[in-house]
Amino acid sequence: MGFGRYVTARVLWAGVVSLVITTITFLLLSAAPNPDVQQAATQAALQGGNPAEATERVRELRGLDQPLYVRYFDFIRGVYTLDWGWSESRSQPVLEAVGSALYYTAQYSIPWTILTIILGPLVGVYSAANMYSWKDHAATGFAFFGYAIPNFFFGIILLLVFGVWLQFIPVTYNTDVAVFSVENAVQLTIPVFVLVTGSIGAVMRVSRNESAEFQNADFMKTAKAKGVSPLRAYAYHVMRPTLVPLSTTLVGQLLALFLGSSLLVEVVFAIPGLGRLTYKALIAQDTNLVLGTTLFFTFVAVVGNLLEDIVFTVLDPRISYDDR
Amino acid sequence: MATKKSEEFDQVDWNEISRSGRFDLSINSIGMLVTTLPLVLLAVYDWQFLGERTPTFQFVGVDRGLESVDFFFIFTLLLAFWFLVLPLYQNPRMTRYYWKEFKQNRPAVVSLVWLGVVFVGGIVGPIVMDPPQQELLIAYQPPVFTSVVDTTPATCVGEVMNGRCYGTWEHPLGTTNAGKDVFTMIVYGMTISMQIAFITTTIVATIGISFGTLSAYAGGWVDEIMMRFVDIILSFPTFLMFLLILYIYGGGLGMFIVVFSLFAWGGTARYVRSKSLSISEEEFIKSSRISGASTYHVIRGHVVPNVASSIITQLTLLIPGFLLFEAQLAFLGIGDSTVPSWGQLISAGRSDLSFAPWIVLAPGIVLFLTILAFNFLGDALLDALNPEAEAENT
Repeated sequence: MGFGRYVTARVLWAGVVSLVITTITFLLLSAAPNPDVQQAATQAALQGGNPAEATERVRELRGLDQPLYVRYFDFIRGVYTLDWGWSESRSQPVLEAVGSALYYTAQYSIPWTILTIILGPLVGVYSAANMYSWKDHAATGFAFFGYAIPNFFFGIILLLVFGVWLQFIPVTYNTDVAVFSVENAVQLTIPVFVLVTGSIGAVMRVSRNESAEFQNADFMKTAKAKGVSPLRAYAYHVMRPTLVPLSTTLVGQLLALFLGSSLLVEVVFAIPGLGRLTYKALIAQDTNLVLGTTLFFTFVAVVGNLLEDIVFTVLDPRISYDDR
Repeated sequence: MATKKSEEFDQVDWNEISRSGRFDLSINSIGMLVTTLPLVLLAVYDWQFLGERTPTFQFVGVDRGLESVDFFFIFTLLLAFWFLVLPLYQNPRMTRYYWKEFKQNRPAVVSLVWLGVVFVGGIVGPIVMDPPQQELLIAYQPPVFTSVVDTTPATCVGEVMNGRCYGTWEHPLGTTNAGKDVFTMIVYGMTISMQIAFITTTIVATIGISFGTLSAYAGGWVDEIMMRFVDIILSFPTFLMFLLILYIYGGGLGMFIVVFSLFAWGGTARYVRSKSLSISEEEFIKSSRISGASTYHVIRGHVVPNVASSIITQLTLLIPGFLLFEAQLAFLGIGDSTVPSWGQLISAGRSDLSFAPWIVLAPGIVLFLTILAFNFLGDALLDALNPEAEAENT
């Protein structure tokens, strides 16, 4: 199987996975009592009307009286043609709400991702080069600390220290400042720092352990014998093979953090991003918006896994396409 | 070695072999059955004959109820005792070897002690300590050895000096805004954390091991389909799916445990599959087959025990993730607010953070230490149970 066919197969498979997840979401939603219908019934009963009749009317209005498969195909068509419905709590189309929230999420997640991807392997390889020295122990300690401290708890503590006691940063996020301004950089420092400490630990550990293997490899000895400078030797001969196994875990981990932690961090720091949007939609029982954000995160996860697989094969020419 | 009687290979325990029929049970399984039976009876009794709000042990005069999560927790504890602790006692030679390897890693030993404290506290604590009581009069008591401005607590339990209220041993970690004792709440939170740890591990291990070995042994297209299914499980956004389920159906701790463990076994299954594929190529499996062992016997007697020891590490590293998720959900206020977990305590104290930081700090630090301990333990178990991994590193 050639590269082109491999990529095609992976893309098709990603499509299947997204379809399965959307289907499960649909089934979950259709199996549950619809809050709108219940609300209408309650209202009718309160106003002395006939609850059954009101229920019927709302069901008809929302198209719930149609058979399941018709609703299913409508739903699937809506999802894939990006017609995600109307958000009642925000009085705007769901897609628009997601888009405007994404603007704020991107402002902290892009620096966070870049910092993790660059600093993680660098520190990992550095501590492998100085293995069992105090630098290595410090890096390992930091990695375990970042791993183990709950992001939201760390965020609260930093907010208390720097926001309330020292007053270096505003306690709530200010949406009025320009994206590329000092104020914005200052108020995003702590959220980015919290997220980086959470995600960098795993990257550092993996790259440290992986690169330890390559340090004493024959090609390293050859490079040293030829008189290659240590910097160049580490950059070309240790870093590159380390990145291959790293890339398999990196995307998955970043995605998991993106889905879980961004929500918490946004709630703690009051950033009006995607996570907070999901959270508020849940609280406000805005079904369309909950569904929209869920689907968005799902698609991000599916596309991320797809990219990971493709990047993996590009980075490592040894992998045969027949294997998977 | 010369003084002790060493293990001998030339002696065959014919008893064991002649007993190895499918329905003969080991002492472990018999113990498991004997202890599970009263538990099941109690659960049925609680479910069928008692009202929703009647405590389980009312017939002996104890006012304490058990819920379905508690029953399942006790079941997993029994499992752990009969199939994890007892085998360690039955094979003292291997236990000594593991311990020798394990104790070289000092952080891991400290972690084990800490987890032991959490475990014992979680089991014994709720039995000997009364649940935290709401007492608005003694809200915001500071922890022992510290002091706050005496306007913060409504009334100071300890002594007041120079306008500052000092903490007392009565409330070693202070009290919350409702006057509940933080230390008691943390001990009750230990129970929740241990329940999450044990139950999820049991579910994940059961599904993961059976799915993985089945997939490896079925082979062909069955294997292909099962592994693609695992792919879907792995790329499932569990956190969001749980939010969705919670939003539609609502649910407490039990729902949390079920949903998260039902979507967490993907990695375990994959690992088990590759491991059992490599084990089934080993010489001892071949010789066992030539001697006429059935596939069931090979899987049950050789593959599963070999795989199980190596997935312990992976399971240990899964637990902190679950604890973190629970705390996060509780913090967001979308968990079950009646469950006295650490996350609930953190979220309860958040608004009082600037003047009563101990409400957040105490459970937060306990949670941090527990997650850290599980990580260290997983690392050490990897070295102790898998001598090859260590040989590679040196």
